[in-house]
Amino acid sequence: MSSEWILDKNHLSYWLRQLRKEADLIGPLRKPGGDIVFESIERIHEIFLDLPALIPGPKEFLFPQYEKLFNKRDSKVEELSIKRKRVVFGVRSCDVSAVRLLDRFFLDRFEDPFYSNRRANTLLISIVCNNPEPTCFCAGIGTGPYLREDYDIQLTDLGERYLVQAASKQGIRAIKAYSFIFSKPTRTDYDDQFEVQLSAMARFQKRISLERVRSMIITGKVRDTFWEKVATRCFECGGCVYECPLCTCFTVIDRVFGDEIERARIWDACLFKGFTRLAGGVLPNERMVMRTKRWYYHKLVHYPEVIGSFGCVGCGRCTIVCPAKIDMATVAIKIKALADNEEKIIEQKE
Amino acid sequence: MLKVLTVCPYCGCGCGLYLHVEEGRIIGVSPSRNHPVNRGTLCIKGWNCYEFIQHPDRLRTPLIRKNGTLKEATWEEALEYTARRLQEIISLYGNDSIGVLGSAKCTNEENYLIMKFTRAVLGTNNIDHCARLCHSSTVGGLAAAFGSGAMTNSISEIRDARVIFVIGSNTTEQHPMIAMHMLEAVDKGATLIVADPRKTKIAEFASIHLRHRSGTDVALLMGIMNVILGERLVDREFVMRRTENLEIFENRLREFTPDRVEKLTGVPASDIRKVARVYAAEKRSMLFYAMGITQHITGVDNVKALANLVMLTGHIGLPMSGLNPLRGQNNVQGACDMGVLPNVYTGYQKVTDPKARQKFERAWRRRLPEKPGLTVVEMTEAILDGKLKAMYIMGENPLLSDPDLNQVVKAFEKLQFLIVQDIFPNETIEFADVVFPAASFAEKNGTFTNTERRVQLIRKAIPPPGDAKADWQIITELSTAMGYPMQYRDTYEIMEEIALLTPSYGGILHYRLEEGYGLQWPCPDRKHPGTPYLHRKKFARGLGTFLTVDFKLPEEMPDDNYPLILTTGRTYFHYHTGTMCRRTTVLEREEPEPFVEINPEDAEALEIRDRSRVKISSRRGSITLMAIVTERVPKGIVFVPFHFREAAANILTSAALDPEVKIPEYKVSAVKIEPEETEKILKTEIKAFRTR
Repeated sequence: MSSEWILDKNHLSYWLRQLRKEADLIGPLRKPGGDIVFESIERIHEIFLDLPALIPGPKEFLFPQYEKLFNKRDSKVEELSIKRKRVVFGVRSCDVSAVRLLDRFFLDRFEDPFYSNRRANTLLISIVCNNPEPTCFCAGIGTGPYLREDYDIQLTDLGERYLVQAASKQGIRAIKAYSFIFSKPTRTDYDDQFEVQLSAMARFQKRISLERVRSMIITGKVRDTFWEKVATRCFECGGCVYECPLCTCFTVIDRVFGDEIERARIWDACLFKGFTRLAGGVLPNERMVMRTKRWYYHKLVHYPEVIGSFGCVGCGRCTIVCPAKIDMATVAIKIKALADNEEKIIEQKE
Repeated sequence: MLKVLTVCPYCGCGCGLYLHVEEGRIIGVSPSRNHPVNRGTLCIKGWNCYEFIQHPDRLRTPLIRKNGTLKEATWEEALEYTARRLQEIISLYGNDSIGVLGSAKCTNEENYLIMKFTRAVLGTNNIDHCARLCHSSTVGGLAAAFGSGAMTNSISEIRDARVIFVIGSNTTEQHPMIAMHMLEAVDKGATLIVADPRKTKIAEFASIHLRHRSGTDVALLMGIMNVILGERLVDREFVMRRTENLEIFENRLREFTPDRVEKLTGVPASDIRKVARVYAAEKRSMLFYAMGITQHITGVDNVKALANLVMLTGHIGLPMSGLNPLRGQNNVQGACDMGVLPNVYTGYQKVTDPKARQKFERAWRRRLPEKPGLTVVEMTEAILDGKLKAMYIMGENPLLSDPDLNQVVKAFEKLQFLIVQDIFPNETIEFADVVFPAASFAEKNGTFTNTERRVQLIRKAIPPPGDAKADWQIITELSTAMGYPMQYRDTYEIMEEIALLTPSYGGILHYRLEEGYGLQWPCPDRKHPGTPYLHRKKFARGLGTFLTVDFKLPEEMPDDNYPLILTTGRTYFHYHTGTMCRRTTVLEREEPEPFVEINPEDAEALEIRDRSRVKISSRRGSITLMAIVTERVPKGIVFVPFHFREAAANILTSAALDPEVKIPEYKVSAVKIEPEETEKILKTEIKAFRTR
């Protein structure tokens, strides 16, 4: 079910101001030096919407790098789940697609209460991308640049107005409460929307078919020598895992402050050799190539088998944070080149 | 949710990052995308640099030692007590009975203040810091050759270089974000040459890897220069117009034929010729070096040899063409610039120069001492000799970082009064009489200067824990308690004073640093945009000078009793004495225990298994740790990282010093290795079992 409205751009700040009365409003801000980051918005007119993929993505609002779980003092345990309401304005379609998959990891069957509380109190307002970066490749995976379903609120920029679509209950409520500033879309609005969607699709520099890469891998055509080359370059920084909107590794730590114990979970990464450290100091994955391979296999082979979609939404963040240029897009392009090469060889034989 | 732009507190790269603040706590980190150094990336230490800030071990209250144990005290008590004791010691033993260590981890402003406090209030030049142990050779060697000792190029130039020559630097692990730029250059077709006895990670990307014997750097460089001279690859025009004294140096150079050098270094003469041709032929050639060059008794000679090499080929004074010492600590460049050295004020103005001294005397309104003070290792000796009675140590941990630790322990036991100012209890605090709890990088404002001379703002994200205060506040309060009031509203006022007294920092003020990512010194006035590369058109001293050097063997060569060479260094996951990184979950889990790397051939001869416990001893002491059998080290050399207090590598190292700048020779000591007792027992039992 999707409901659609038109919002005059002049009324956007009024609407956000109303939303902010009930929640912490978070949006993209331009910092000195030119970085754009998600922050609590003090002055709404400073929201910077001509934005690239932000580092970090909105994963940090649902599953932060350091999250206190509970405190224990005198055998009393206090759970510290954050229930504060948040509106995150200006996220990308790929981010929303990623959250959908995060939901399946954290909420299906076993519900993670900390994620669940944050998720239930977070409203995501996404904007249809009409300015993909050179690093973006969501179009080939179908996780962007616009969404057909499963979003809270999606805005399409139609020049002086937005086409507003709401799909979740939360989203519809956030619009209906201020319905006097929204109007009904007309035929022209839908035509304009379609044009934006077409032009957005046309602006991608990268066309990557992960399906093709996956079939190369599962048919055994990507040899270990290839992964060795990839792994040799790795800086072991963990950046790809930390910034991947779908990576969910964490470790749990206890800290003792006098008579108070704090338990927290922090981001971890399967790319670290210590991630699978065993008693006695044994490191089953000491060789980097095993860890690199595992990350790619998880994203490209195991994810489709278990969840039915790739463990990658094409946001391009690993391309940005990888110092060694062995990110998903680069590796996928290299594997594709192997495939093309193979076809050529077959052609020549014929 | 707030995001505060600041600078990473680990290495000299000076990466820009954001601290994420939620409800007054730091809950994450993210890289700055537009920062010229890291451009949206971080290394594992950067990604995890938020965790130690809120660690339970943080020092929260001042401590005073009473009846042998450290007891909590108020700031008033601690400051009053400290001021009184310092004054007593000065009146009993004189000003030079006190030594001070500044910190390459603290801000420029704090280092300036502790320098001012030492010279104006304590009245001594006995001030130094850990730069003595890493790049004093650079400061000494390059100051003599060029007139200024710092990285000549900018990091963002690296990716356009055509030849990158890295000697004695494990760049991928110790300056990961600089290695990123090198890798980019290699991807674009640049030739990477690495000279390092160990097969480091950066060597895997090199076209040529020279594995010379530890301590033979001068010979290797002389060999390369000999080929350049012999094959007429010298940039004669450059040498004639911009340098002097080549004639004197040339004669010495002719002695180092590639064949002789092959015998000295173990590097094939053909490789030496190849490197000489590749390096000399390309104009966009950048030379990088780090501790592998400086931490020798010939540290200054090594640096001079490098300076000669770049002058001979004219590879300096242009973008993508220069000599680049990679500074280790986040603010070691800044601490040196601030004059936290026994012989200079800010901007390397000499204390022996009456003009400079008068300038500072007038600004500070105190008589200042004329004689240069003691260096780090000399301070230890002076304590043992009974000349130094008290020390004030800000953010350093000499009881793990100084060479020949057993001697250092003896010295510190002898001290009458020790003040330690730090964020965590460390090895040095065990000897302290007073402890001042300090604020971490996330809890104060100020500036750090990275390895490419970029002065950048760090910003306060959260308040310090408990009663802890920023180092600069502690110094001002102590100074005031000693009758020399220091009053500053915040660190920007201190920066203004630095700019006033320091020509190279003349135009660097906080308000200018707020927009963007800092300014690179020299920046003489408020309109100056900063200097991306040094020695353009002329050297800082006018003409560059060729300084004649000769090959000298390391102080302690292996012999029958101690047949192996020990070289020490860092690992990727840890940083120096580990006060921060060993309190970070992921980093500690990656590398939780001390180890020694040993070549398979040596291991077999000594009957050492991979991952078994071994005892390693030198003439000065011994430690027990795990052996890692690996090809990374060549035969005859073993490597031990110095982070671990459980097996402190510096118990083994010798305090042999470079005669000029007094840097200890961390990279070469003679040691022997044997399987630990229990290992031996195990082995005999296994043998017995087999024969049964």
